[in-house]
Amino acid sequence: MANLLIFIADFVTAMLIRATGQKLLLSRRQSLEYLNLPKLVKNSANINAGDLASLIYLWNPLTIVTCLGLCSSPIDNLMVVLTIYAACSRLAPLAAFGYVLATHLSLYPAILILPVILLLGYGPDAPPAKLFLHKSSNSDGKDPSNNDESRSAVTTHKPVRCFSRRPVVHFMIWVSIWSCYVLFLCSIYLKGLGGLQEMFKKTYGFILTVGDLSPNIGVLWYFFAEVFEFFRNFFLIVFHVNILFMILPLAIRLKHRPCFLAFVYTAISAMLKSYPSVGDSALYLGLLGLFANELADMQFSFFLFFGYIGVSLLSPVMHNLWIWRGTGNANFYFATGLVYSCLQTVLIVESVSTMLKHDRMLRKHVIA
Amino acid sequence: MAIDRRRPKPSRRSHFVIRETLLLLFLLLICAPSPSSSSSSSSSSMHNNNWAVLVCTSRFWFNYRHMANTLSLYRTVKRLGIPDERIILMLADDMACNARNTYPAQVFNNENHQLNLYGDNVEVDYRGYEVTVENFLRVLTGRHDSAVPRSKRLLSDEGSHILLYMTGHGGDEFLKFQDSEELQSHDLADVVKQMKEKNRFKELLIMVDTCQAATLFSQLNSPGVLAIGSSMKGENSYSHHLDSDIGVSVVDRFTFYTLTFFEKLNMYSNASLNSLFASYNPTLLMSTAYYRTDLYERPLNEDRSCSSYEWLKVLQDRLADEKSDTIVMYGLGTMILLLTVSTWLST
Repeated sequence: MANLLIFIADFVTAMLIRATGQKLLLSRRQSLEYLNLPKLVKNSANINAGDLASLIYLWNPLTIVTCLGLCSSPIDNLMVVLTIYAACSRLAPLAAFGYVLATHLSLYPAILILPVILLLGYGPDAPPAKLFLHKSSNSDGKDPSNNDESRSAVTTHKPVRCFSRRPVVHFMIWVSIWSCYVLFLCSIYLKGLGGLQEMFKKTYGFILTVGDLSPNIGVLWYFFAEVFEFFRNFFLIVFHVNILFMILPLAIRLKHRPCFLAFVYTAISAMLKSYPSVGDSALYLGLLGLFANELADMQFSFFLFFGYIGVSLLSPVMHNLWIWRGTGNANFYFATGLVYSCLQTVLIVESVSTMLKHDRMLRKHVIA
Repeated sequence: MAIDRRRPKPSRRSHFVIRETLLLLFLLLICAPSPSSSSSSSSSSMHNNNWAVLVCTSRFWFNYRHMANTLSLYRTVKRLGIPDERIILMLADDMACNARNTYPAQVFNNENHQLNLYGDNVEVDYRGYEVTVENFLRVLTGRHDSAVPRSKRLLSDEGSHILLYMTGHGGDEFLKFQDSEELQSHDLADVVKQMKEKNRFKELLIMVDTCQAATLFSQLNSPGVLAIGSSMKGENSYSHHLDSDIGVSVVDRFTFYTLTFFEKLNMYSNASLNSLFASYNPTLLMSTAYYRTDLYERPLNEDRSCSSYEWLKVLQDRLADEKSDTIVMYGLGTMILLLTVSTWLST
C-alpha cells in the first residue's frame, strides 16, 4: 500500500515537472520571438526540457532508491513540484496548498515563498526585463520598418513585465486558509498526545535544534558532535543563517527567472539542511533538467556527473567500513559527505553562472 | 510574462467565497486553542497527588489470571507515573514462585510471554494471608495499629486522586476474599463514606473486574466517586484466553481491553474517561461494562459557556473523544474537495 502511494507520488511529480517544462518552453519561445531572435530558437539545443526533466527524475537512481526504501521524500518532492507548477500556471489555491503542505512536511520549502510570489506576479522564466525595454526602445526609435511588427507584438504580448498583485493576494489568503485547516486537523488528531505545541517541538524544533547526531549525508552531524555546549546555539544559528542569507541576493539577481530561482533554493536547502537525504537531491536533479536548453554549455558537467556516481557508490562503502566492520572511522564517511557537498556547491555555482552567461549572450544578440 | 486577462465573473465569485471563509476562519483564529489543564469547578482543594490501591483477592493456582490482572495494572500505573510509594499492592497468593509455575519467578498476562510482569521491580505491600477484608478496610480508612509501617498505609489527603482496582471472584453485592470471607457492597459504601468524611480523597475511581461487578456499587453514595464494573447483575465476566504452556487462563477480558486502552497512552496524555468507556465493546467483553458517573461532580464533558474560546475547546474535546481518526479522514477528504473546487474556479 505504501509502495503504491510512493509510486503514484513519483509519477505525478514527473508529470507535473513535464507540464512545468512545457510552460517554460512556451514562455521561452514567446520571449525569444518577441525579441526577434528566431535563429536562436532554431540553432540552440532545442530539447523538450519538460520531457527530459521528467525522465531524469523518474530514472534517477537516487529517486529509485528513495522509492524502494519507502521514504516519505517522494511526497515532500510532490508538494514542492506542485507548488512550482501551480505558481507557473497562476493557480493560487493549488500553489498555496502545495506550499503549506511542503512547509508542513519539512520546514525548508518555506524559502520557496520568494520564487512562488515572483512566479505568480511576473509569470514563468524570461530574459531580463531590461532586454524588453531595450527592444521596445530600439523598435520605437531606430527601425521604422519594423514598426508594424513591433506594434503587433505589443498588442499580442505586453512587453513590460509588470508585477500583477492580484494572484499574490489570492495566494496569501489561500495560504492562511490552508494552514489554519491543516493545523486544525493536526490539533484534533494530536489531542491526546500533547497537542500542537508538542508537534511543533518534535518536528520543527527537532529540525532546528539538531537533536540527533546520527551520521547522515549532510555536514552538520560531524561538526555538532564536537562543538562545545556553550557555542552550540551560536553555531546552530550560523548553520541555519547559511541558507537564509543566500536567499535575498539570489532573488535580486535572478528575479526574472523564478523557476530557476526555485531550483537553486531547493539545491541549497538539500545541501545545507540539518538532515538531508537523497530524496532531496533527486528533486533538484530533476528540476535541473528543466533548464537543459539554457544550461547546455555548463562547465564541469563531466566531472559532476561522474562525481555524483562516485560519491553514491563510495558513501555506503565507507559507512559500512566505519559502522559495521569497524575498520574505518568517522573521517572516512564524512569525507564522502564533504565531497558530496562540494559537488553540489560546484553544481549550483556553475548552473547559476551559466544561466547568467546565457542572459548576457541574449543581451549581446538583442543589442547587436 | 504578460498579465493574464481573466473572465471577471468567476474571480469575483471566488473572491466573495474566499472572503466568507476568511471571515469564518479569522473568528476561529482569534480563539486559537492552547493546551491547558482543566480545573475543578466544585471543590476548593487542588489535585496534587495520585494513589493506586490494587487488590487481588483470590488464591490458588487456577486463579492465576487475577494475579496477572493486578500485576498488569500495577505495571501500567507505574508506567504512567505513579511511584511505588504511592501504590498499595495486595496479592492474595504467590503465583510467580508457585510450585506449579513452569516459569519460575515470571508472571505473564499473554500467551506470547512478551512481558514478564514480575520483574525485579515489584513491591508487594500485602501478601498472602495478609489480604483480608479487615486489612483492606483498614487501608482505605487509615485506621491502623501504630506498628504498621508507612509503606502499608494509604497516606492520601484531600487533594488525592485514588485508583482502586479489585479483581477476583464476586457475585450479587459481594466480592470474595481468599475463599473464606466476603466484602459486601454496603461495606464498600460505608468505607468510601468514611474516606470522604475524613477527606482522604478528592476523586476516587473504582474499577472492579469480577462477575456481576456492577452490583458492588449499588450502595455507593459519596460525591467524587466514579465506578467502572466489568459486568452487570446476572452476567459473568470471562477470561480472555488460555495459555496452554502455563496451563491456566492468564488474563481477564475486561482488564485486557482496559490495558489495550492504556497502552496507547503515556505520561503526558490527556485522554478522557469517556474515551475509556467508549472503547469497551460488549461483544468482545462478553459482558456489559457498567459505569457509574452520577456521583462524579465534574462533568466528563465540559459545559458549554459563552466565550468562543471555550466553545472551540469543547469542539476539540468532543471531536477528539469520538473517533478522531474518522474525523481526520473526513477532514482530509473535504480538503481535497475544496482544493479541486478552488483550482477549477480559479482557472
